[in-house]
Amino acid sequence: MSRSIIKFAAMILVIALLSFVALYGLDLSDKFHMPGILDPDGVIQGLDLKGGSVIVYEAQVENPTEEQMNTVSSMLRTRLDSMGYPEATITKQGEKKVRIEIPSMSNPEMAADSLGATAQLQFVDYEGNVIITGNEVKTAAAEYGPTDSMGASSHYVSLEFTDEGAQKFSEATGRIAGLPQGQNFIAIVMDDTAISMPMVQTQINDTACIITGDFTSEAATNLAANIKSGQLPFTLEQVELRSVSATLGETALKTSLIAGLIGFILVMLFMLLIYRLMGLVADIALLLYVALTGILLATLHINLTLPGIAGIILAIGMAVDANVVIFERIKEELKLGKTVRAAVDAGFNRALTAVIDSNITTIIAAVILLWLGTGTIKGFGTTLLIGVVLSMISAIFVTKFLLKQMIGMNVKNLWFYGIKKAKEEVK
Amino acid sequence: MLNITGNKKIYLTIPAILVIISIVSLIFVGFNLDTDFAGGMAVTYKIESKFTTEDVTKTVADVLGKAPTSVQASGDEVVVKFGYDNNLKTDAEKSDYALGKLEEISKALNEKYGSVVETNKDVISPSTGKELASNALWMSILSVILILIYITFRFEFVSGVVAVLCLAHDVLLLCGIYSILNISIDVNFIAAVLTVLGYSINNTIVIFDRIRENTRHAKKQTYAEIANNSVNQTLFRSLNTTITTLLTIGMVYIMGVTSIKAFAMPIIIGILVGTYSSIFVAGSIWSMWRDSAVKAKKN
Repeated sequence: MSRSIIKFAAMILVIALLSFVALYGLDLSDKFHMPGILDPDGVIQGLDLKGGSVIVYEAQVENPTEEQMNTVSSMLRTRLDSMGYPEATITKQGEKKVRIEIPSMSNPEMAADSLGATAQLQFVDYEGNVIITGNEVKTAAAEYGPTDSMGASSHYVSLEFTDEGAQKFSEATGRIAGLPQGQNFIAIVMDDTAISMPMVQTQINDTACIITGDFTSEAATNLAANIKSGQLPFTLEQVELRSVSATLGETALKTSLIAGLIGFILVMLFMLLIYRLMGLVADIALLLYVALTGILLATLHINLTLPGIAGIILAIGMAVDANVVIFERIKEELKLGKTVRAAVDAGFNRALTAVIDSNITTIIAAVILLWLGTGTIKGFGTTLLIGVVLSMISAIFVTKFLLKQMIGMNVKNLWFYGIKKAKEEVK
Repeated sequence: MLNITGNKKIYLTIPAILVIISIVSLIFVGFNLDTDFAGGMAVTYKIESKFTTEDVTKTVADVLGKAPTSVQASGDEVVVKFGYDNNLKTDAEKSDYALGKLEEISKALNEKYGSVVETNKDVISPSTGKELASNALWMSILSVILILIYITFRFEFVSGVVAVLCLAHDVLLLCGIYSILNISIDVNFIAAVLTVLGYSINNTIVIFDRIRENTRHAKKQTYAEIANNSVNQTLFRSLNTTITTLLTIGMVYIMGVTSIKAFAMPIIIGILVGTYSSIFVAGSIWSMWRDSAVKAKKN
């Protein structure tokens, strides 16, 4: 009997420790760091929770190759980084779409235009002959300072040519400087829009040049980013644009967590009321399920979305299902007059197939959501899958372990197992 | 003890009629597709001062030159949705139109109500919506096929077919209710339907599991009796599980923000119709099929 109590207490201790780890993480010296759900580097909140923007682009060609799409992704990455959004994520969606998620930005229109620009930079003469393209630019940078003889400061973009580019530039400026007034200029064109048209007075033998225009600081940064990242292999069209403010996300998160907590408590009370001592055991297993889910969310850095939270909460309700199946079975066996020990064994054995079969169908649906779904649906599929698998494990193994210790402690009054009066119901 | 197989005429006729009504509505009325599917613009405003839905609708209609798709208010927030101009051809033109109109609407509302803040904004191209709809259909079909294969493998083909029939009943009723009540459906509806596909079958499987067990032991009973016993033996379990799941998802519906309510509602409906079909439909159809097969053998 005392061994059972020790085992029972040990399991409770393990669950308490796991709950603590789930909340606060685990740090062992400097080498091992495991974040908890309360740590900032733990759970990654989706855009619908912390606010931000989603932009989806579609390639305007039939059947782009995977290599082309990879090029697009890496170029978008460079652009995002140099525009000041290193925390943005890029994911491929289907064969010709790219999904960009930028946290904490709720005004995506301007970024969207610039991000999706083809970035075809050309220097052309008055007849439209191309002198230099973006390929002959080594680097580009946004700068601020005086740009004209009057000394007025403005935002501009400085370019540095490759050797070949400098050569061409030198030749062209020499030729254009000799042209009559009205023809002696170079147009700097970005994606068919002329940004500036500087006059050329003399031949320029320099590897650098600047582009001026009515730039804001942001516009200059974006332009430099686009020139630097190079030219996209095809046009991108923006097909989806979503933004959520941080305040809405915060409310959504808070209300969902409160809903989850109340639902959790209600389910625990319900189990206690219907199954008494067995219900208590199921509640302990449920705590373990919640702790394990928390640990998994934090360590795997799962992107938690609003439907994702709904998935976890829904799984709390489903989690006790396995226990309900098993407990009902145990009650039946008890009513047949079996001893508690035999009834618990038989209940688990007989209910096991039903539990596994019924959970696998939910797993099938969750895997399909995770595999084929996009955006928030994927988030829901992930947490649903985690929820179903973990709850099945905790409901089968942990409950069984605890119930056995309970029997070991000689708890044999049938009232504790949810049967009203032993004599009346045993036929 | 419930006599389910004995009263199968009533228990099967009611859902049959409801399914037919749902199908008729789905064919002739269809869905009220949200901007997620139809493409368009959805924007949420937080308005500090007092406002009425009618006034906001009128302001938006004045800007658009036509009525918006929908205007829904909850608390100090109002969600405005509108589609594209049908004359526009390319996605780029449509997107420009939507963003331009959005700016005008924000301005008009600001003039009328003072401090108006945009808290959420979705611009979706029509092609995205079409892709989403076909993607959803494929996900559902794939789920059903896999579930059918699994049940056939674990139980038998008859059980698999009956389980899928019950699923069809659950999903058709769920979609039918949304069609008849003209509730708009968005991307999360797909996730909800797939959850119902995977979850509402749980009860059916637990019943089939019991039937599988009882068939082994009972030799002299008819299949109708076996089915009836099995449904009754698992009745408490079916109800209790439904209650615990409803407790949690119900709280999400009661407490949640607008978008999560729209997600919780179809799951709640799906769980309810799923519980009905598991208890009152699955066993009866299964036993009818098996008993008629026995009769056919005897003749």
